[in-house]
Amino acid sequence: MIYNTVKTTLRQSVMLAGFRSSPAFVAAFGVLLITVIGLFTAPYIGMADNGDFFRNIYSNGLYFSQPDYDSQYFGYFVKQFGIYQYYNENGATLASSQSLFISLAIGLNKLLFSSTVFDIRFQAAIYTLLYAAAVYLLVEAITCRMTRKQGMLCALLAIFVFGDTGYTAYFNSFYSESIVLIMMLYVFAAWLLLYRKRYNDYFLLALFVISGLLLTTSKQQNAPVGIILAGLGIMLFWVRKDRIFRVMTVISLVLLFAAGIGTYLNISKEFVNINQYHAMTRGVLKDSANPETSLKSFGINEQYAILKNNIYYEQYGTVDVNSPILEQDFYSKYGFVSILKYYLANPDQFSSILDVAAQSAFSIKPAAMGNYEQSAGKEFRAQSHFFALYSLLKGILAPKTFGFILLWMALVTGLYMPSFIKALKARDSRGMQRMALIVASMAVGLSGIMVSIIGAGDADISKHEFLFTLSFDLVSVLGLSGVIGRRVSGSSEPAAGMSANMPKVQKGVSI
Amino acid sequence: MSRRSPGLLLPLLLMLAVLLQPSAPAKAAAPQTAAPQPGVLLLYDSLAAGTPREGNVRELERLLAAYSVQVTVVSLDHYEQGMMEAYARVITVINDPVLTASASFEADVDRYRGQYLHIGYNPPARLQQTLQLSAGLIEEGSGGLSAGDFRLPGIQLQQVPYIAAGRAEKTYGSLTLPGTYGKVPYAMNSGSYTYAPYLDAGYAGRLAIAYVLKDWLGAAAAAGPYLVIKEIYPFSDLSLLEKLAGRLYDAGIPFIASVRPVFSNTDFPAMQRYLDALKVVQSKNGSILVNAPVVMPSINSSDHTLGDKMNSFINLLAENGIAPLGMGADLYWTYDKEYSSAGMRFFDSVVLFPDENVIHMEKTNVSAAFTSSLYSMTPEFMADLTHEGKAMPQLPVSTAVTLNLPEDEAGMEVLLETVDAYWISFADYKQAVHKTVTDSYTVTSADGVLRVNGEALNVDYVPKAVSSDFQYKEEQYQSFKGLFNVQNQFFIVVIIIALLFFGGLLTVGYRLYRRKYLK
Repeated sequence: MIYNTVKTTLRQSVMLAGFRSSPAFVAAFGVLLITVIGLFTAPYIGMADNGDFFRNIYSNGLYFSQPDYDSQYFGYFVKQFGIYQYYNENGATLASSQSLFISLAIGLNKLLFSSTVFDIRFQAAIYTLLYAAAVYLLVEAITCRMTRKQGMLCALLAIFVFGDTGYTAYFNSFYSESIVLIMMLYVFAAWLLLYRKRYNDYFLLALFVISGLLLTTSKQQNAPVGIILAGLGIMLFWVRKDRIFRVMTVISLVLLFAAGIGTYLNISKEFVNINQYHAMTRGVLKDSANPETSLKSFGINEQYAILKNNIYYEQYGTVDVNSPILEQDFYSKYGFVSILKYYLANPDQFSSILDVAAQSAFSIKPAAMGNYEQSAGKEFRAQSHFFALYSLLKGILAPKTFGFILLWMALVTGLYMPSFIKALKARDSRGMQRMALIVASMAVGLSGIMVSIIGAGDADISKHEFLFTLSFDLVSVLGLSGVIGRRVSGSSEPAAGMSANMPKVQKGVSI
Repeated sequence: MSRRSPGLLLPLLLMLAVLLQPSAPAKAAAPQTAAPQPGVLLLYDSLAAGTPREGNVRELERLLAAYSVQVTVVSLDHYEQGMMEAYARVITVINDPVLTASASFEADVDRYRGQYLHIGYNPPARLQQTLQLSAGLIEEGSGGLSAGDFRLPGIQLQQVPYIAAGRAEKTYGSLTLPGTYGKVPYAMNSGSYTYAPYLDAGYAGRLAIAYVLKDWLGAAAAAGPYLVIKEIYPFSDLSLLEKLAGRLYDAGIPFIASVRPVFSNTDFPAMQRYLDALKVVQSKNGSILVNAPVVMPSINSSDHTLGDKMNSFINLLAENGIAPLGMGADLYWTYDKEYSSAGMRFFDSVVLFPDENVIHMEKTNVSAAFTSSLYSMTPEFMADLTHEGKAMPQLPVSTAVTLNLPEDEAGMEVLLETVDAYWISFADYKQAVHKTVTDSYTVTSADGVLRVNGEALNVDYVPKAVSSDFQYKEEQYQSFKGLFNVQNQFFIVVIIIALLFFGGLLTVGYRLYRRKYLK
């Protein structure tokens, strides 16, 4: 079979515009093309500001330059911002890896376009290229042991899912979901490639840790990601026997763990008032049978029960979210850990809020934010449907209960378990990596849901659950590709070139 | 008779002809300029950011509001020739010594026949001629102001113009110049021209101009002062609020509580406790004002629920025997079409606080005016006023001394001491006429009597304990509940029998196995 591989790979290779059209290349090119059409040709697709942008842009030397910016919140995507021309007194309000990419985009913008006006499409261009490369590696990892026909089917599947503008519209925004998307893809691809023994292990380890670090530090909500990756990444230790690889693996995992802890500590300090407000009013109090008792358990004045279900975004309210009375008597009484403890002590309430969370767990692009510029002439909050069939179908068809999420997790784990046990019995540590990756992805997704609920209740939940919806797609695409690789085509011709030293084929769900 | 009838008929026909004439030609014949309005046109050159005069235009707007005047604010940059003709009174504030008004503006002032008040630098030539004005400039130094019965010594003056000489029918207050240069009038008037060279946003400037405005507007005697307690939330320390009300009542101090509105969960026990506390406040000679709700940054401009929300909150108060007599709001609310028309339309009485966090929905340059409008002052303002005798003289404008609800008992003691130290006899808000009208209720006050829909309200109230029992979550309807219960029990019995049966079979099987193979 191995000898066959080399022969058929050469036979199957087709030259397209000077490149060999491997499934990975087709998928990356397809995603790139769709994204370029969606984001860089009129009407430009982007994401409207929900009020979060200021946290990311002011500390990076940008400001809202449009006089009517306030009226465009939630409704319209804005593509141009001002670049500070004098000393920027705004310290970093948020320590995020996103700043690196914004700074890079500003540098590029200054070099090629303007030193006073920042066009967000420079940032989108950087993200698009990185994303296309991530898709390439991901599809390469998925298809490198498949026949060409199987590989191409998987490539189309990847384009259908990851080319969806529900994902890529984030690139034309200052939401950190862009980084989460790209880096999660790199982490997944790097780990899967390590399992496939494709490319150099050291390069893949470096890719895994760098993207893992960027992913963990992109958002305060991602603190558990570093810890999960560090925990399950221990499996990587046994991938190679050489000392240097093992030492580097340990260092990488320690770094990831430290990044997770560091980001968590940052949460406690910067647990932004709006989120903290929602964590109580739209979380703890929302499904509480007796909000006054719940409040008492936190040592809060029972009168705050009146804020049950309150939402910051309502135009008129009783109290300012940043008012001293809330700072002193409300926010100071609870935090991430105390809310977690509360949910653990009240499993009934926790399960009902998990069901609320599951309602939005399958939407990729939040409906609350418009995708077009005001100049496009679309209505306020108008959503783009360009190449968005997957996100549309997913939003409509996925059963929206937490039970389904548990069932999906059980099914996926069950499907991959035989190959894992086989690898375990054979002491094939590389063969065990896929299971570790899947469990890690699911845990990362689940952490997205948990952190959303504990951190901000059900407010803004469809955006907060991005990590889950992405993990779901990655694992599901891997699973479906497995089915395609095994069942859809009888052909066993590999699609991409591969090293002769491939791991033993397992009789699991897929290869 | 028959000879006289044509003579009578002609004038009658002429009258009919005049009366039955279409209205359009009549309109066409009307003069081009609109009839003067009772409101004031406030013109300014700049907001004087970064100077001691910063904020003086806003303070002037707040003072004018307290005189129940509708104000139209226009920057001189946007002034159009002939604009002032539409107003009976015009105020111009010039904050920049370098800026000179345009020739067309000067020409308009020349032609203007209404009352013209100039504040700050560079008064128009016509005013200078009329007042035979000779102006001076204080470069820097410490001076003093006296206005009415108040003395305000030790004011830091910087680049302040003053009236060195002039011919006036009337002068207002006096400005003590730094050094030994003596005193000059603070402001002067002659005919339709009034000039006040100095106005900063500090207490002295505000008080001095308040006297000038009172006379210039011909305002009635000021009401008050009143004591206003604000920052009262449903989750404030309500027992402390009740205690404070009791202490003020015992000290014979009537007060106003500006309470935060609640728009949701109004059936919760927590809301009932809030309403109970407000009833206690009312029973202790406290008057209730509805404070403006907090406005969140505009997410979309299509939220027009403010009117309904305010309406239902006022109704809720009235249903519970609480009589809201007016509204407490930041000044900018009166310069917003949505807020003033939807949120303030129920009231004829307001207390206007200085702006804190300005978030407009539909900004306008024409203010909404109210029959009763109080000028909110901080305790520091009061503390800085020096006057003859111990008792506080009457202020020129209707005022409200505004304090926040204290956080604890110690804070309450400080508040009571502060109020006591003023030597002010605070007025009872409900003695004056106030009216609040919603779709269901008309709340009025006059001579200390509160009325709801015409019936006198008994404000006596003995607080009751509010039960915490409340069904927060509606029980979900379960269909076939009984059937499922029977079914559950049936299956439990079946499963137990099946388990016992299989257990028996296993035991039998095991015995057979042992007998057959392990002998």
